[in-house]
Parts: sequence; C-alpha cells; structure tokens
Amino acid sequence: MKQTIGLCIILLIAIALTLGIGVRDVTLMDMLQAFIAFDPTNPVHVVIHSVRTPRLVAALVAGAGLGMAGTVIQSLTRNPLADPGILGVNSGAAFAVVVGALLTGRSDSGWMSAMAFPGAALAAISVFMLGGGARGQAGPVRLALAGTALNALLLSLVSAIVLARNETLEIFRFWVTGSLAQADVRPLAGMSVTAAIGAALALLLAPRIEALSLGSALARGLGTKPARIQFGALLAVTLMTGSAVAVAGPIAFLGLLVPPLARRVAGHALRRELLASAVIGASILLYADTAGRLILAPSEIRVGIMTALIGAPMFIFIARRLRPGAST
Amino acid sequence: MTATALKTELLTLGYRDRIVIQDLTLELPDGKVTSILGPNGCGKSTLLKAMARLIQPLSGHVSLAGEEILKIETRALARRLAILPQASKAPEGITVADLVKRGRTPWRGLLAPWSEADAEACERALREVGLADLAERAVDELSGGQRQRAWIALVLAQDTPYLLLDEPTTWLDLTHQLEVLSLLRERNRAHGTTVVTVLHDLNLAARFSDHLVLLGRDGLVETGAPEKVLTEANLEKAFGLKALVIPDPVTGTPMVVPR
Amino acid sequence: MRGGLVLIGLLLASVLLSLMIGQVMLSPVQLWTGLMTGTGPASLTLRVLRGPGIATAAGVGAVLGVSGTIFQILLRNPLAAPDIMGFMSGAGLAVICGIAFGLSLPLPLLAAVGGLLAAVAVAMLSYRRDAAQAGLTLILVGLGIGFFTSAASSFLLTRLSPQDASDAQRWLSGSLAARNWGHVTQVFGLAAILFVITALQVRALALLELGDDLATGLGTRIRRARYGLIATGVLLAAAGVAVAGPVPFVALMAGPLGMKITGARQPGGRLFSAAVTGAIVTVLADLAARSVVPGLQLPVGVMTGILGAPYLLWLLAREMEAGDL
Repeated sequence: MKQTIGLCIILLIAIALTLGIGVRDVTLMDMLQAFIAFDPTNPVHVVIHSVRTPRLVAALVAGAGLGMAGTVIQSLTRNPLADPGILGVNSGAAFAVVVGALLTGRSDSGWMSAMAFPGAALAAISVFMLGGGARGQAGPVRLALAGTALNALLLSLVSAIVLARNETLEIFRFWVTGSLAQADVRPLAGMSVTAAIGAALALLLAPRIEALSLGSALARGLGTKPARIQFGALLAVTLMTGSAVAVAGPIAFLGLLVPPLARRVAGHALRRELLASAVIGASILLYADTAGRLILAPSEIRVGIMTALIGAPMFIFIARRLRPGAST
Repeated sequence: MTATALKTELLTLGYRDRIVIQDLTLELPDGKVTSILGPNGCGKSTLLKAMARLIQPLSGHVSLAGEEILKIETRALARRLAILPQASKAPEGITVADLVKRGRTPWRGLLAPWSEADAEACERALREVGLADLAERAVDELSGGQRQRAWIALVLAQDTPYLLLDEPTTWLDLTHQLEVLSLLRERNRAHGTTVVTVLHDLNLAARFSDHLVLLGRDGLVETGAPEKVLTEANLEKAFGLKALVIPDPVTGTPMVVPR
Repeated sequence: MRGGLVLIGLLLASVLLSLMIGQVMLSPVQLWTGLMTGTGPASLTLRVLRGPGIATAAGVGAVLGVSGTIFQILLRNPLAAPDIMGFMSGAGLAVICGIAFGLSLPLPLLAAVGGLLAAVAVAMLSYRRDAAQAGLTLILVGLGIGFFTSAASSFLLTRLSPQDASDAQRWLSGSLAARNWGHVTQVFGLAAILFVITALQVRALALLELGDDLATGLGTRIRRARYGLIATGVLLAAAGVAVAGPVPFVALMAGPLGMKITGARQPGGRLFSAAVTGAIVTVLADLAARSVVPGLQLPVGVMTGILGAPYLLWLLAREMEAGDL
C-alpha cells in the first residue's frame, strides 16, 4: 500500500515537471486552470494544451506501454535481458516508416506513425521467432544477438533509403532515436486506445502467462494451452510497443529497466507487476525526458538517447548477474 | 630406492578460501609410472596441476629433480615436463598431425622453421599411439579412444623426460583404457620417461603403476608400491570403502573387490 | 595453398571490377592505358576518383578481418569479433569525442585509445568468480558496451552543429567517400606493423587455442600472450576504424568466410585468409555502396550491415542447432 502511494506520488511529480518546465515556466495554478477553465487567449494555457499535454500523453502511453510490454516479454521468456527495443521494435518501425514514405510518397506524421505500427510488430515477432522464442528457448544471448542482427540489417536499409532519397535527416533521426518533442502531430488518441487494449489483454492473460513461465510441460499440466497464450501475450506486447513507437519513436531499453524495479515493488504476482510497470515506465520516461530538456538547454537531448544511456549499463549489470546454467 | 623425480614439501593448495591439500610432503620416484588415486574432491587433479606449475601453491613448494619448479624458466620447464590436462577440446576441424605438431612448440625458436627433429618426434609419437594412418584425419571425426590418443601423442611429441596426465582414461571404454595405459607404460619402459597420472580405476592403476599415491579427504593416506598402498585398511581410510583385496588372477597385482 | 591463390585471384578480380564500375564505365584496356600513360579519364579515376577509396577499402577489410579472427580463435567463439563486442563502437565514440570537444589528436590514436578502453571495460565488467559461461557473459557485456557507446555517440551528436552532426553520423555508419592516398598510406602503414606483430604471436595463439593448461604445459606465458593478442586485435580494429569509421560485420564475417574458401584450419592460415577475405568483402561492399543508387555514394557500412546481419542470423541459427548457445 505504502509502495503504491509512493509510486503515484513519483508519477505525479513527474507529470507536474513535464507540464511545468520549458521555455515558459508554468505554475501549478496555471496547470489546474488550464484544465478546469481553459482560456484560449492565455498563451500559457495554449502552451499547456497544445504542446505540453500532448507531450505528456505521449510519454504516458509510451512509458506505460513499453514498461508493461517488457514485463510481459520477460515473464514469457524468463529472460531478464528481453526488451522490446532489443526485439527490434525500433528498427522495424523506422524501416516501415521509410519504406511507407518511399512507396506512397506521403511524409506527414500521422501517416508515418501508422506505418510504424506494423513495422514494429513484424520486427518484434521475427526476432522472437529467430531467437527461438516459439520453442521456449529465447535465452538472453540468442535474443540479444538476433535483435542486434535484425536491428543492424534494418537500420542499414533505412539509412540506404534515406540517403538515397535525400529525405531530411530530421525524419530519419526521429525514427532512429525516439523523442517526445512535437508529440501533438502524432496520432495520440488512436494509439492510446490501442495501447489500452493491449494492456487490458496483458492483464487478462497474466495468470496464464505466470503458469507458462514455469515451463510449457508444467503449464499444460496446469490446464493451459501454451501456444495460444504465447500468441495472446505477443499480441499484447505488439499492441503496446507498436503504439509506443507510433507516438514517441523508438525508445530503447525502457522495457529492460522497468521489470526488475516492478518486481521489487510488486513481488512475484504478474498482475501487480504489470500495474507497477505501467507507473514506473511512465515515470522513468517523463523524468528522462525532463532531464534531456534541462541538461543542454536550450537544445534538447532526445529521450531515446537518455533511456539508452541509462539502459545500456543496466543491460551489462543484468548480464553479469545471469546465473551460469540458467537457460542461455 | 631410486632417485626422486618430483618432490613436494609442505605443499598447501587451494582456491581462494578453500584449502584442498594441506602440508603435503611427497616424493615420486624417477623413471617409474606413478598413479595418484583417491576419492572425488580429494585434490588429485589439483596436486597434479601444482606439480606442472599450472597453479601456484598457497605455501610450500614443488621441486623437479632437486630444482625448485617456480625457478625454472617457462620454456625450459616445458622441455622437461609435459602435462595433459583433463578433457581438452580440439579446435574445430584441426587434423591429428596439426594437433600433434603443436606439441613441438617448446623446442622451436621464434622464427625457426619446422626441423627434421620436429617431424621425427611427431611421427614417432603418432606411431606410438597407433594413429600414424589417421594423421590427416580431422580430430572431430575420430572415436573417443582415438581422440584421446591424439592428445597423448601431442604430449609425447613434446619429448620430455617427465609426463603428467590428468585422468587420461576418462570417457574411454575398458579396451581403450587398457590401450592408453599400456602405451604409457611402454613409453616408460622404452625411454625411461617418468609418468605420473591421476586415475580413478584402482585395479588398472595397480596393474600399470610401479608406485601409487593414495589420497583421502584428509590428505595423504599411503604412498609406495601397489601392494603396500592398496590394503583393506587404507581403502577404508581413503574412500570409506569396505573391500576385499586379493591378487589379480592375471597379473598378481592387488585387486580391490568391494564387499 | 591453392585456396590461398584462389582468394588472391578473387581479390584482384574484385579490385579490377571495382575500378571499372562507376559513373563512368571503364574497360580493362582503358585502365591499363591510364595506368601506363598517366593521362586520360582512366588515369584520373585511378589516381583520384576510385583508386584511393578502393585501396583504403582493401586495407580496412584486411585489418578488420585479422582482428576478428584473432578474437574468434582466442575465445574459440565465432561470435567473438570487435564489432559484436563493442570495441569498434568504443573506437568510434572516442573519435566523436575528439570532434565534439575539438581535440586535435590524430584519429588512429583516438580510435586506439577508445578501442582499448572499451576492451578493458568489457574484460573488467565480464569478469566473474565462477568461470562458467565466461564466454557468453563476455559477449553479452560486449553487446552492452556497444549499446552504451552508441548511445553516448548519439548524445554527443546533439552537441554538434547540424552540418558536423550529419558528417559525424555518416562517419559513424562507416564511410569510404572522399578517401585520398594519405588514408591509404595510413591504413597500410599501420597494417604492415600490426601484421608483423600478429605473425610473431601466431604460435602463441595456436597454443592458447588448445586451452590454458596445455598451453602453459607447452611453455607459454598465457597471461602475457593473451594480453598481447587482445591488444593487437584491438589496435588492428582501431586502425580500420580510424580511416573508415566503425564498418560493421567485416571482422565478424571475414574469418569464417575465408576459412570456407581456403579450408585453412591452422591459425596462421586462418589469419591470412581472413585478411584477404576481409579485403574482398569490403572492396565489394564499397562497390555496391557506390553503384546501387546511381549518382550517390552510400556509406560502405550500410552495405556491410546488409550483408553481415543475415550472416549473424544464420550463425545464430546454426549455433542453436548445435546447442552451443
């Protein structure tokens, strides 16, 4: 209980910081008023409405989605190094966007975000399959290397296409490292709903996934159908990561950072872990974003770089702690 | 009493905080076949490694023919003493001949070409282990017994007066065990090579060795000729095993029959 | 022996092909006249347009191939390569640091320092008391260092002006555009020195391949030999990175590919075939990068990425079949 309240407070502070800090500093009073009594002539209210709230919503969708997706994948594969980013979601999205833009000639943000979705999903599923996930053998080394390989391949193709088409580097950079800037142009409403459906599915399946994580033989003994649960869980992961990528671009390592923290807070009950993951994921992303805006102000460090800078050491830390003989 | 080949004095061995062997003083005879015996975890392999300077003792020292082993230059030592560790894994696709050639390393200068003497030593080693016909085959393609003999050929090609082997017969069936041990004894009889092995099988050890070292969980139990070492009292002390010791009907060496 | 000649033939053929193909197509005869007379369009192509780039590609490929093979033999793992284990992105990060903070040190020095630091970091962070699975830990930690150095490079790019950032981005993906004979001299000079050093260590490498205990028994000072080889491998990779940026997957692919062609099993032969194969792969990748999209030179790293990633996936599938991972 105490931990729940603690988490909520941490998240609320993060939200306040996101709304409050920027070129124009905003007070708590302004925030409240902007939501209760919106005044379109007040520039502060306009900023909150049209710039910072979309940014906040994007961060909430992406953070909660990636956090929960990470927890689902890690329980499913029993692999503490599994992460949607490592699964190739980043590069899959980037690839789909660039190819989509190339084929249709459209480069508006809404269209590109929509393209990111199937790209992310396809990449995640391919890496999962290539890494032996379907056979229940998605060991840390395999998954990480399969992801690295697919990432390298897709990113090479992306840069080839981008350089060949002389598209602006800016588009490319967004789809290589995620950012929450200009979130207002991304399809927030649709993606929020999609992510919510994914989250609901994950919560629904949680007890089954727990059974499956004991090994498929035992799971069968407990009366579950492993293939069906795996499919459902992957679908949930895809819905959540896909919408995260669509609103915030590829954010690496969040799915790696969140699960161990969630487990520490929530213990070994997957539903509680998932809820904690959502809150922790959103908080980390908001703090990382705020830090990225402050460190080199007025220029901004993309939040995707920030999470990678925190996440990569975490990856090493976890890799070091893997027990010898644990499934590789 | 023959001359002493390897000698340990108050040797204490261990890994970090775990002491495996404490204050062991031991002399192994020159020009003989010696086997080190004992239950799992008594430090047989550790002792062998210390004698080959693969691990540093925590205290005490090992000497080779009267010279302290830590003071011998690395390459000079490799020309006098060869060690075959347990269960080595061959590089993928390497041929038997290429594997054996690497045993000549201590004899070759940095830029020295492959010499007549090197080739001869390798051929001799391959003949001794009976692999001369298979020299060009890849090690991975060989049977377990042949593979082990290829590794033994490598240390034979090293051409040293002292030869240490850690469980050279593990994973082999009985026929191959006999084969490997007889070829080691032939080497000993023909060249006077001092052979020291770690073995599991007490009866084979008694058959093929001139000298035995029996270790128990609390250190040395007995050392000496097989008849002296393999007694019912010693076995009880080393292994906690109640056994009958009778003469081997074929060779007359002691044979252990668990009760 | 025959395999070696085949490889060298392939290298010459790829160089020739690469010289011929481009915006202006040249015949071998034109190239020959250009080379002999020193005049005409072919001469310009040889001296300025294509020659230096192709020679740099060959040099870079050779050093990377040897570097990868040293690690693959030393760690007895086909996945052990400076690109997978983060040494090359470490070298890349050091160069980006140099640019971002305006250090005026020579690139090879920066790259070497970065590569060595990354190697030290990987070695220290993957050290664990229980030796079990040390190889896997090493590769995972290496991947992690790679992730971190790439993130740090992206971070530093934010500090640069848009033009510098775009140049640096290009360099980071491995580029051979606008290389001159200075680059060629640099990479071949370093390669010559480092290959001699490698040759002196081949015998130690052959022994370490047999396992530490046996190597010690055969008179090797294993610690010294291993550090020497690691340093050589990292410096070779850094020599490549310094002229072409962190070109991915050449170091990973060259050794096994060369071994397939020549059938070499001994370290010496493997290193030689890796050098030549690395050169072939890089020259061909550079050719593809120049000619896939007419009028545009893609970074060579893009092409090696497209070639190398499927190889890595195949390798994973194979290791999985064998149950080694």
